[in-house]
Amino acid sequence: MSAAANAGAAGVVAPSLAERLGATAEDGPAGELRLRVGAGEFNAAARDLRDARARFVTIFEADTPEPALVGVFALGGELVVLRAPGGSADGTIGRWWPAARWAEQELVERGGGDGPPGGFARCLTKPDADLLDRRVEGLDVFVIPYGPVRSGVFEAIQFQIETGGEDVPRIQTRPFFKHRGMEARFAGLEPRAAVHVAERVAGVASAAYASAFCQAVERAVGVAAPPRAERWRAVYAELERVACHLDVIAKEAETTALYVGQARFGILKEQVMRLRAALTGSRFGRGVITPGGVLADGALAPDELLAALDRLERELRRDRRLFLGTASMTDRLIGAGRLERALVEDHSAVGPLARGSGLSTDARHERPYGDYRRLGLRVFTRREGDAMARVNVRFDELSESLRILRQSIDHLRAPDAGLAVELPAKASGAAFGWAEAPQGELVIWVEIRSGLVHRVHIASPSLRNWALFHHAFPADVLTDFAFIEHSFGLSVAGADR
Amino acid sequence: MLGWIPRGLRAGRVTTRYPRSAETPPAGYRGRVVLADGARGEDWLPGVCPTGAIAVDHERRLTLDRGRCILCGACVDAAPERFAFESRFETAARSRSALIAGGEGTPGAEPLRPALGERAHSLRRSVHVRHIDCGSDGAEEWEIQALWNPYYDIQRLGFFLTAAPRHADILLVTGAVTSAMRLPLVRTWEVMPEPKALVAVGTDACSGGLSAAGTLTAGGVDEVLAVDVYVPGSPPAPIAIMHGLLLATGVLTAEAVLA
Repeated sequence: MSAAANAGAAGVVAPSLAERLGATAEDGPAGELRLRVGAGEFNAAARDLRDARARFVTIFEADTPEPALVGVFALGGELVVLRAPGGSADGTIGRWWPAARWAEQELVERGGGDGPPGGFARCLTKPDADLLDRRVEGLDVFVIPYGPVRSGVFEAIQFQIETGGEDVPRIQTRPFFKHRGMEARFAGLEPRAAVHVAERVAGVASAAYASAFCQAVERAVGVAAPPRAERWRAVYAELERVACHLDVIAKEAETTALYVGQARFGILKEQVMRLRAALTGSRFGRGVITPGGVLADGALAPDELLAALDRLERELRRDRRLFLGTASMTDRLIGAGRLERALVEDHSAVGPLARGSGLSTDARHERPYGDYRRLGLRVFTRREGDAMARVNVRFDELSESLRILRQSIDHLRAPDAGLAVELPAKASGAAFGWAEAPQGELVIWVEIRSGLVHRVHIASPSLRNWALFHHAFPADVLTDFAFIEHSFGLSVAGADR
Repeated sequence: MLGWIPRGLRAGRVTTRYPRSAETPPAGYRGRVVLADGARGEDWLPGVCPTGAIAVDHERRLTLDRGRCILCGACVDAAPERFAFESRFETAARSRSALIAGGEGTPGAEPLRPALGERAHSLRRSVHVRHIDCGSDGAEEWEIQALWNPYYDIQRLGFFLTAAPRHADILLVTGAVTSAMRLPLVRTWEVMPEPKALVAVGTDACSGGLSAAGTLTAGGVDEVLAVDVYVPGSPPAPIAIMHGLLLATGVLTAEAVLA
């Protein structure tokens, strides 16, 4: 796919939007609408995009083709990439667009000094476990600093819960205890070595991160992975979704003390982990996806794989019926952690969380990539916006994932040749890659210079969705906390990077 | 509600009998990398490894530091006559140097201190475990949680999860220790009563793994606190973590399962 041929396809929408924003359209790979604006016009153009009902994805500083401030938005089946050469974030977009708040603050803080940047009450990226954001005053009102050392086996994140004992008027979510500098870790690596870093940004979504990264590399240097590789990538991605969704449901069962349910869904999840180990040699499907394709065919024959999925689905159907018929379970989830659709839109939330509030957003459907261009996908949504809706969306997606898996595996029977293509030596370029991770839409920006990774930016679904977490307690009490947290089903490592 | 009871019973027993009997991974499972007998090093080999786990000394002796290995397979692809994956779960060791394969007579392969069971006999069969995440990628947490699922059911061996560090005998640490988690880690360890043991779970916790380069992480738990048992792997499988816990209590003393 050459950049010039693709620019033609985008050309239909480009002139009108570019005109509206006062921007110049630039060439870019398919699915990206690249627009250039002056440094002073960036914020105004972003506001126009918001008015056009675009979804905020991320904001970062790119280095290719020249240093520039870049805003990324999803609009009508395309990524609108707003580029302002020489611009820098001023931290004001988040004041009128909540979705941009964290991404923008992170960017401002990374370029700045120690304290919170001007206009912000506290640091986002340099958390201190001992520091309370706010002192609360009043009779029997107090703050529970929950985390970063959690009870149970959970990732490190802190919630400062302001409560009178029952109701929760306010929560502060404090991520970035786990910031490892993964984006910087990519720099200077060959793409095929860098994919191992991508797999370890959010370990539970390794296949999604590896696919999105590889796609970005492929688009940047102008090659396409062979269809067979795309099919395997879809198989690994859907198995990952099944494992992640089962994990969320098992945790919800544990929280309601439905221990047989927890055991049942734990068994199903373990079966998926073992299936992945038999297929790839890794329980998380690591070490198979590579820039240009995949390294090998899965180690199981299509029939074995299908038989294992049939068994899984049969069991899952029974457990689902029992789970949804258990009143002690559903009573706790129905109405808990309700998120209004308008709020979710304002925060540009993604994934099962957004779909649980009636927003039909799914990267596999909006901008089909890889094998999803050939697979029909049904996007499931619920209108209620509560924890139950988010669990129901996951149940529906489990069935849909199993259906897609069957289709992909069936296609794999055809003995087409070619698992991977060579990347051109010493190539340069820059592009976005994306995937629908189990947590939501993931977008990765990759710059390649002379065959080596120069810069990477990751817009993780978890960071965008965590920013909404403190809104999820409109009428809920402290004991609902765990249900609501699990119903978000996010990765902390992915958010902190 | 009643439906769950026959549902649970119909599944029958799925629980492993480990460590009474061995647990075999599927063929092709990437448990750890082994060196071929008498493999000699060449100058280009260390450059193949993204985490610097491969070393070649002036006498061309080849060593592989499993505490750094993330099981990516780059060395197996580049030099299949020297490196191979071994399909096994047990990877844990009681000293950092015991994780280094090859070379001759690795010095200092002594455990840090006696196993928990040797220090207090009651801690052989009833142990409380606390976990702290210091910057993992999230996968290690899944594998630790899995220890309490019906397949592994580590409670049958007397391991219980506790929320309070003051009740804990073993601290499981994941991640390379980010700067924000350094103090919470030290405090959690300090309030645990003696005798206690620290188990580093995952390659990131053992050496920093891929996140080692840079100033944002300490580059492994033992840069901050002394470690009793190292469980390398990216991430290690539940059986590997179970093996590490059994080494920490002294129920297992070597790599072998109980006869």
